[in-house]
Amino acid sequence: MIRLSIFALLVMSAATIGAQAADAPAEIKLGTLYASSGRYASISMPVHYGLKLWIDQKNAEGGVYVKAFDKRIPLKLVAYDDQSSTATAATLYNQLITQDKVDILIADSGSVLTSVAVPIARDHKMLLIDQTGTGAAFFTPDNPYIVLMADPVSSIWPKPLTDFLTHDGPGLGIKRIAMLYATNDFTGTQANSIRKFITESNSGIEFVFDQGVPTETSNYTVLLNNIRASNPDAVLHLGYASNDIAFLRNVQDSGIKFKFLFSIYPGIETELLERNLGGKALNYVFTYVTSADLAYKAEFGMSLKEYSDAWHKKYADAHVEFGFNAIAGYTTGLVLEKALGVAPSLDQLELRKAIFSLSGGLKTLDGTFELDANGGQIGELTPIGQFVPDEGDKPKLVTVWPHELAGGKPIYPRP
Amino acid sequence: MLTYSLLAGLLFGLYFSLIGLGLNLIFGVMRIVNLAHGDFLMLGAFLAFWLFTLFAVNPVPAVAIAFAVFVAAGLPLYYLLVPRLLRAKDPEMLSFILFFGLSQVIEAVTTIAFGTSERSIPGDQLGRAVAAVVSVFTGHKAETGPVELLGQTFPAAWVVSGIVSGAAVLLIYVYLYRTRLGYLTRAVMDNREEAIATGIDVQRISAVAFGIGLGLAAAAGVFAPFMLGSITPAMGGEITVTSFAVIVIGSLGNPLGTVFGGVIYGISYMLMQSYYSSWANLLPYVLLIAILLLRPSGLLGRQVRRA
Repeated sequence: MIRLSIFALLVMSAATIGAQAADAPAEIKLGTLYASSGRYASISMPVHYGLKLWIDQKNAEGGVYVKAFDKRIPLKLVAYDDQSSTATAATLYNQLITQDKVDILIADSGSVLTSVAVPIARDHKMLLIDQTGTGAAFFTPDNPYIVLMADPVSSIWPKPLTDFLTHDGPGLGIKRIAMLYATNDFTGTQANSIRKFITESNSGIEFVFDQGVPTETSNYTVLLNNIRASNPDAVLHLGYASNDIAFLRNVQDSGIKFKFLFSIYPGIETELLERNLGGKALNYVFTYVTSADLAYKAEFGMSLKEYSDAWHKKYADAHVEFGFNAIAGYTTGLVLEKALGVAPSLDQLELRKAIFSLSGGLKTLDGTFELDANGGQIGELTPIGQFVPDEGDKPKLVTVWPHELAGGKPIYPRP
Repeated sequence: MLTYSLLAGLLFGLYFSLIGLGLNLIFGVMRIVNLAHGDFLMLGAFLAFWLFTLFAVNPVPAVAIAFAVFVAAGLPLYYLLVPRLLRAKDPEMLSFILFFGLSQVIEAVTTIAFGTSERSIPGDQLGRAVAAVVSVFTGHKAETGPVELLGQTFPAAWVVSGIVSGAAVLLIYVYLYRTRLGYLTRAVMDNREEAIATGIDVQRISAVAFGIGLGLAAAAGVFAPFMLGSITPAMGGEITVTSFAVIVIGSLGNPLGTVFGGVIYGISYMLMQSYYSSWANLLPYVLLIAILLLRPSGLLGRQVRRA
């Protein structure tokens, strides 16, 4: 009788394993968009290439381990070009979900091209893997279908900047701030947060210039003259890479030397900005110090150096610069890899639960992955740094805030 | 603030006059809309970028090179595309489709060649050209920084592009009103059928106008990295729309109306940036709608369409 029971048990186990293997898909379909042209191409392509690099690596190893099927399964990338158009992106996100029936939906880079994916993913009950769309409005308690992978959510991203300004600023002589920002989800939210944090700090700092411009703005000469007329102690410019290139170029060409100038992209896409502006234009500019400069100890995935080497080897002739966005795409892959390794099924809410289970414990080359209750990224915060000229007059990024990470003191006013 | 905005608007507007001039010349002579106009400007910008990066050619001589190269390229391109187009029933409408396709091809090929990221030429390059010219006339070394104009300081690039744009407008005026080829061009602009009837070699005149149109776009492109922040293969579409607004404001088919349209656009844009910055980019469309509603033939009022 006992022998019969053991035999029956073995037969049942074999049948279960067989059924599981039969249920396992031949591939996991990842659906995403990228912008090969248009305003957001320079922030989209590095993210896309980073994600692709991770996929190619995993497929070379036979696929990614999926706990739901207890085996490695190859990854298939379904990717469409939205050409930086939100209208095209909306159609293509729908296509990925309804026609291609992807298992995992990954947004294009940046808040503008992510913004259209948020309601679509929610309507279709698909978890949106948001790579770098940091707009605060995307993350609400009533929407469980979004998680931010690789950039801090914009409502807290500028906190280190405002902490620096309100703590160290008055001592340095910073009392009057001019802020110019592009009116989109990314920088618009950052501007709102800066305004809020500074007002709440009661540090005596006031805004003497606070204006928004369309994201498409490519000429700042008149605006710079107006900012100069407001006689600020510090100027904050919040825009995308193309905005920063145009803005810093106009600053340089106009011969204006603001005592303090903060800009986002010199720290995010340093290679791209140096290539466009020349190194000297970045000297004394304050910016976010990202994982492209801070070599975080990666407990999972490649280190910064290994990844940078792999990137430059794979994309030597691709005309795409290596920077923070390149790291973001790869980080997305690492988080997905970990999540698929613990998720009991590919159900979208199970996947979300699996990603949330990594919060605070996953340390990659992008820092500590940590989510707030709404899926916003709060772990990969960026300190504040200033480019200072080295012996060869080339800009070197020195962290100035927070003090425990600082590698030098801020130079204020700039020479 | 107001004076600065007005002067900046004048310089910016002159630059947009240069951008729109070629588009209007081609429309005036051939009654076709070159939707790839912004892409030819982009190609001129990449030519200047390439000349500077590989051979350290200053953008000022690059203007002449770009103009010559694109005039030369425009002649065979004209014979390849336009005569067949003009034989069609509705060449004006078909030109939209043809040149839209050409625009897509140009953008795709440039993306393959140069990538998608922003590219630029160092800002001090035009300042150096200004300093070199000043040194020749004054005999001592001049500064390479910004230039003072009527008590206001502007980037040297703005002043140089304003001067070159003004000179280009003048040369086009001389070409149209003081040369034999110009007289013939104006005759074709006035009435193509009558020009053919009087024995004018309309194809040759049109080919030259087409070449000059592309040459002007390419010459304007050389200043794009300085006036528009940076260049990308995808910048053409936006430029075409703005330059179309500029020539409609001035008057379709009237090259000199373009100058008027450009200056109005430039000044309005800079005033908007100063006082209502969030809405500044709506300006070309608002002006376009306003002109089409109030004065469809443009501010200079020359009726060119025959319904």
